[in-house]
Amino acid sequence: MTDDPILSVSGLEKTFGGITALDGVDLTVDQGITGLIGPNGAGKTTFFNCITGYLAPDGGTVEFQGDDVTGNRTPSIVREGLVRTFQIPRELENMTVRENLLLAPGGQSGEKLGRAWLRGGQFAEDERRSRREAAEMAAFFELDHLLDEPAGSLSGGQRKLLELARVLLTEPEMVLLDEPLAGVNPTLERKILERIHELESQGQTFLFVEHDIELIMEHCDHVVVMHQGQKLTEGPPSAVRSDQRVIDAYLGEEI
Amino acid sequence: MALADFAVSLLTFVAIYGLFALGLNLKFGFTGLIDFGHVAYFMIGGYVTAVLTMPAQVTGYDGLGGYALPELLAVVPGGDVLGWLLGVAGGMVAAALVSLLVGVPTLRLREDYLAITALGIATILNEVVRNETWLFNGPFGIRTVHQPASAAFPLGLGSFILNLVVFGGLSVLVIAYAGYRVGSYVKDVDTTGAALGLASVLVLGGSIGALTQGGPLLFVGVGLAVAGVAVLREAVRRSIEPERTLALVVALAAAAWYFLQPLLAASNPTVTLQTNVMFLFDPVAGPNGGLDYDRFFMLLSLAFLAGGYWWCQRTINSPYGRVLRAVRDDEDVPRALGKETFRYKIQALLFGSALAGAAGSLYTIHLGFISPDQFGAMITFFAFASVIIGGTANNAGVVLGTAVFWAINSGTQFLNDYFPSEYAVKLAAARLIFIGVLLIVILYYRPEGILGEQDYDIRLPGDEPAPSRDDTAAAPGGDADD
Repeated sequence: MTDDPILSVSGLEKTFGGITALDGVDLTVDQGITGLIGPNGAGKTTFFNCITGYLAPDGGTVEFQGDDVTGNRTPSIVREGLVRTFQIPRELENMTVRENLLLAPGGQSGEKLGRAWLRGGQFAEDERRSRREAAEMAAFFELDHLLDEPAGSLSGGQRKLLELARVLLTEPEMVLLDEPLAGVNPTLERKILERIHELESQGQTFLFVEHDIELIMEHCDHVVVMHQGQKLTEGPPSAVRSDQRVIDAYLGEEI
Repeated sequence: MALADFAVSLLTFVAIYGLFALGLNLKFGFTGLIDFGHVAYFMIGGYVTAVLTMPAQVTGYDGLGGYALPELLAVVPGGDVLGWLLGVAGGMVAAALVSLLVGVPTLRLREDYLAITALGIATILNEVVRNETWLFNGPFGIRTVHQPASAAFPLGLGSFILNLVVFGGLSVLVIAYAGYRVGSYVKDVDTTGAALGLASVLVLGGSIGALTQGGPLLFVGVGLAVAGVAVLREAVRRSIEPERTLALVVALAAAAWYFLQPLLAASNPTVTLQTNVMFLFDPVAGPNGGLDYDRFFMLLSLAFLAGGYWWCQRTINSPYGRVLRAVRDDEDVPRALGKETFRYKIQALLFGSALAGAAGSLYTIHLGFISPDQFGAMITFFAFASVIIGGTANNAGVVLGTAVFWAINSGTQFLNDYFPSEYAVKLAAARLIFIGVLLIVILYYRPEGILGEQDYDIRLPGDEPAPSRDDTAAAPGGDADD
């Protein structure tokens, strides 16, 4: 069972008009932290969008934990346990940090219209559970003193933390991180990475898009390189680093 | 016409359009659905209720029905009212069902396209009702609208004194309570409210004096003087915020107009004043006086408004309402967190349309007839104006906005008395101009509306009112916006 990959993508294709964004990507992701790198326009974000249901792929299959989720809609994929963060954090600025977090837990009975009207049943119990989970998650990301602030008042780095905290509250099996560290100061960056490692040691799986190659090399167990809509190579960081094709793809830049 | 009669008519309209605007606020304010076709559900609610409750085979009516539900159920006690309520429920369900048909294809559109499509569909529905005579009698409409429990009115309680005490006393209590609420809003101190309440009681004394040929002016003058002095002293001493002072001034001006105008202008001041103070009591209705149908219908409409308000509040102050607001702010976020946002949008549309349907039912009864001409797109935009004036995403604000809108729209009709009659048409146009200017001023200086977005609190049984929420609620509104 542990040998089965969490995410298994084969032959994924996506074209926009005449541009081929994904040209038959095959990829498997195992438990741990996997890095996904590639030059701008390599198709990383399109890849994310296709496996999380934001875009319908033109071909290929996506299997998550053994289930075929190809072309499924985002909410159902999320409920299966595959979630993503956005490259630019998407906080609900008018709502408080607490409310942002409270949106995340799945299966809240109070989110059904009938239950919201009648109350009773699991309503109070579920809401208390959600509040407790939200408070714990906020404490974990050191956001607890900001719970009642509108999310719009957070700094850029705090927004990244909130985004991550919110996504984790859905109790995912696997998280796709789209540049979670872009524009984050070094202290906060270290904090986020610590959190990710901590969660990884608890069995969480991450797929991590990042432009800072050093960072990927240091923190990932496994690295996948994409180029022009295809997988160029993959392997442990040390092998990828010395791969000539990777160096060429990055325009001869030494990495 | 005594001012009280005007106030009764105004309050009835405010209740009906308030319910209508609450439905719009649920769609637009909380969920972000710009439904320019909201009036269609108002129309459907009105027609369906009318057809379900009116007697069968009316001369001059060639449409469907009527199905005479109140008569069918009249065999059981209270059955006619039950039948009427079923008619209203039918109107709400019909409005919701039509909105479902409209919503499934259009809610997938981007919000501005949704607005325009909804406007088009509302216009089409109106034209269908106008041209398909077999449906609801086309342009001639329905003139035999069933009025619930109308046989019981005017409602008397036996003796004149009993009627006077019960209905008159109720009226005075309402005035005193309104004074108290204004007072406690203006400053969270009860003395001001108490002073206003006391003044109202003195006004009651004045009117009783008037009935018994005493000196009414003296009592009323003393009452208002006490209230005015107390209130202004409080306002100055406690340096009240401008907006609250404004509310106070508006309330005092309205009170002065309401209580003093009859004394100054009317030919029969004591009777007019009595009508104003005891607005629920009509001394000439029936043999011993009592509650007439207009007043009853006002109370009924207000009860519907209160119910709709409570229902909206319960919906919004729940995890469900939280998701609605998330959909409004950025639909991708709740989707990325596993929420089926389309379902939420459809439900908000259904529920908001059902409220519009209920408002349409009441409107039809109030006017006593219904025809397609009453349901132009203007009605939708009046409701949008009310929502924006009072406070988008604020249920209380929406009711306030509706009151402000209709007070201006109807209240300025009194200006006609002071101008030569040939200016009446121009004055009517000036009214709309004034509302337009008010809307621009509000959008410019206070885009969130008079009250701004409301606070949210999901109360759980056995919980203290969430302390964190109270901190934010206690902060003055301006702080949260900056």
